[in-house]
Amino acid sequence: MEKIKQNPIVKKIGFNRVVLCCALILLYVVLCVTTGGKFFGMARIMSALNYAYFLGFLSLGVTFVIATGGIDFSIGPVMFCCALVSGYCFVAHGVPMGLAFVISILVGLAFGCFSGYLVAYWSVPSFITSMAGMNIAKGIASVFTKTQSVSWPQSSQDGGWFRVIVKAGAIPTGLILFLAAAVVCAIILNKTTAGRYILSLGSNKEAVRLSGVNTKKWEMLAFVICGVLCGISALFYVAAYTTVQPGYGDNYNNEAIAGCVMGGTSMAGGLASISGTVIGVFIIALLQEGILALNFDKNFQLIITGVIVIVAVYSDVVARRRKN
Amino acid sequence: MGEVILTMKEIDKSFPGVHALDHVNLEVRKGEVHALMGENGAGKSTLMKVLTGIYSKDSGTITFEGKEVDFHSAKEAQDAGIVIVHQELNMLGHLTVAQNIFIGREFKKGLRIDDKKMNEEAKKLFDRMNIDIDPKETMSKLTVGKQQMCEIAKAISHDAKVIVFDEPSAALTETEIDELFKIIRDLREKDLGIVYISHRMDEIKVITDRVTVMRDGSYVGTLITKDSTKDDIINMMVGRVIYEDPKTESMVPEDAPVVLKVEHLKAGHMVNDVSFELHRGEILGFSGLMGAGRTETARAIFGADQIESGDIYVNGKKVTIKSPSDAVANGIGYLSEDRKRYGIVVDKTVAENTTMACMENFMNGIFIDKKKEREIAQKYVDDLATKTPSVDQLVVNLSGGNQQKVVIAKWLTRNSDILIFDEPTRGIDVGAKSEIYKLMNQLAADGKAIIMISSEMTEILRMSDRIVVMCEGKKTGEIGIAEATQENIMNMATREIE
Repeated sequence: MEKIKQNPIVKKIGFNRVVLCCALILLYVVLCVTTGGKFFGMARIMSALNYAYFLGFLSLGVTFVIATGGIDFSIGPVMFCCALVSGYCFVAHGVPMGLAFVISILVGLAFGCFSGYLVAYWSVPSFITSMAGMNIAKGIASVFTKTQSVSWPQSSQDGGWFRVIVKAGAIPTGLILFLAAAVVCAIILNKTTAGRYILSLGSNKEAVRLSGVNTKKWEMLAFVICGVLCGISALFYVAAYTTVQPGYGDNYNNEAIAGCVMGGTSMAGGLASISGTVIGVFIIALLQEGILALNFDKNFQLIITGVIVIVAVYSDVVARRRKN
Repeated sequence: MGEVILTMKEIDKSFPGVHALDHVNLEVRKGEVHALMGENGAGKSTLMKVLTGIYSKDSGTITFEGKEVDFHSAKEAQDAGIVIVHQELNMLGHLTVAQNIFIGREFKKGLRIDDKKMNEEAKKLFDRMNIDIDPKETMSKLTVGKQQMCEIAKAISHDAKVIVFDEPSAALTETEIDELFKIIRDLREKDLGIVYISHRMDEIKVITDRVTVMRDGSYVGTLITKDSTKDDIINMMVGRVIYEDPKTESMVPEDAPVVLKVEHLKAGHMVNDVSFELHRGEILGFSGLMGAGRTETARAIFGADQIESGDIYVNGKKVTIKSPSDAVANGIGYLSEDRKRYGIVVDKTVAENTTMACMENFMNGIFIDKKKEREIAQKYVDDLATKTPSVDQLVVNLSGGNQQKVVIAKWLTRNSDILIFDEPTRGIDVGAKSEIYKLMNQLAADGKAIIMISSEMTEILRMSDRIVVMCEGKKTGEIGIAEATQENIMNMATREIE
């Protein structure tokens, strides 16, 4: 074990991520076998990927918030709110598709600013802003759409071109865009002042403040980044699944957070890994596709993600205890 | 000294990669105060953890009251009669004194907790110790010194036969230490065995009967205190002589400009109308008892707490300081007494901590210039002789003295001209201490202005060019180093107390 950990290649990638990659591959093999080969082939993979895109953007966003030591479990409903408001604008008010995109991102941005401001400047616990944000997001979406579900256009319909963000012919554009976004996030987190301060304040906020850093600004920024990514996530959701219904979205919170903590981001803050989050998301997406393929009850997904969150967080706690 | 009550013989303990204890011996007699000394990392705490069953030993024997024992938890050791009074107080601030003392073994009346009985028992305990604390008082309202008394009372209430004091004086003022010593002497009279861990050489001479010295996990030797000198003990600890004499005159030139002027500063109830001046190249000592408002004054000047009224001038210009970033922009740096909480980010590397206060100088467009960052960090690691395998080491893995150096590097990187050192050597071992002192003198000689808050009288007298004394939130005196003595400083420090 120690020997593997000391291997230079493993060290470079990170032991945790190597384990995750192995888990991902193992999961795929197990699914192929248990479904009698039904799982083997592009169709299932593409389907799993569709799920991974929107969930991935949520997970990337929440990684920033968790890095500060905060939490945001309003991301699912906020993402739905973005999709509903912008979709309603397109369907009922006839705004151009491009503008609908912008609206979706702006709605996400607004939610990010809202909770970020409350947490950073008013010291409201992020747990509370999450709960409030979740209700507000659901409420706004319902009021705005008059509690109607919104169907975004099919490929053949007017404005249906937007679906190329997920798949253009045989090219999995969604995968490319998601990975590109992950690279940008990784750069922000590891190479810029923003990332440095976000991680540092997650580890010891008071020490960073006493270094003369405007911690409030950077803490808020983490929520803003998360909000914007929720807005983008909404677009990938509708591009894959077309219809959104007000009042839902909660279960994606846990899945996004599970992907994030599984990837090695610490719930205590200060430690985050974008590549870990990406692999974590793929595992979650594959799991949900697998459960569908095995004809299990969809609710198993809930149980499994719940267990994953606990196992991931507990192993982080153990790792920290050992370090001290 | 009476008969031997506790013997630890040839204790050996290894952790992965570290030989923490290498056949260490310790013998404690009844009615003895036995000092356990050694630099940080010498293995004192590990030895005590082995004694009280928190760690298991690899080999060796522990004999207590004539029987060989092997405790598996602190509770077992406690029940047998070996208790530790920890350096960090383990008290619950919102509970009363009595509730704290009897926590985990509350007196019950049916299902109800019998607070009345607990108060009575606590009172009896305090009477026996000859101290005056109200058992019904809320713990958080007591001074640190009084809280420590409660901790000792708790130990005694366990019917302890051996009490281990782990750096009990670190957070205490001189008067509180006197009171502590009175209690310890009293316990000695009652034939208890006492192990006393401390870094402070003066105390060792005053209170202990014998000294056992450890170095790098090994047993060096045991001395009889009254037959040995300070230098003997220090030589055993570090193998070199390091103590220097107090400063006798100010090193600051007559015409040194005033870089910081504070007028009628008021902030909360702990900072009341404080005024002083700080010159270029000066080390201004801030002396006073615990709770005199020195740290609060520093925090207010640094913008960490809100200022209610008063003016601050930097280099003759009036400045507004509303937050630490304002203070930093005006060239002020603050090194907190609590490095772990307020000084360093332990999950980050030495390099990352070094540039924390001025990232903007280490940017290449929007990207952090990690090469430049590591270069400056390396420069200060070399200049300050920080002991770290590399600048990429996480700060959590450094010792206290080296962590302090990283914080100093942070402010030097920021090029701060005014440095506030709050208890700069708290929890730092003797060797590293003198290095920090040398560094501070060097900084002053280079033209930095330094405010040094310290509760250690020897430190104040050794380092300061001038001394400001505070008491109960007010400035009660100011004195040049040439005139300063322990007595007149103490006098000023207690001026406001009836």
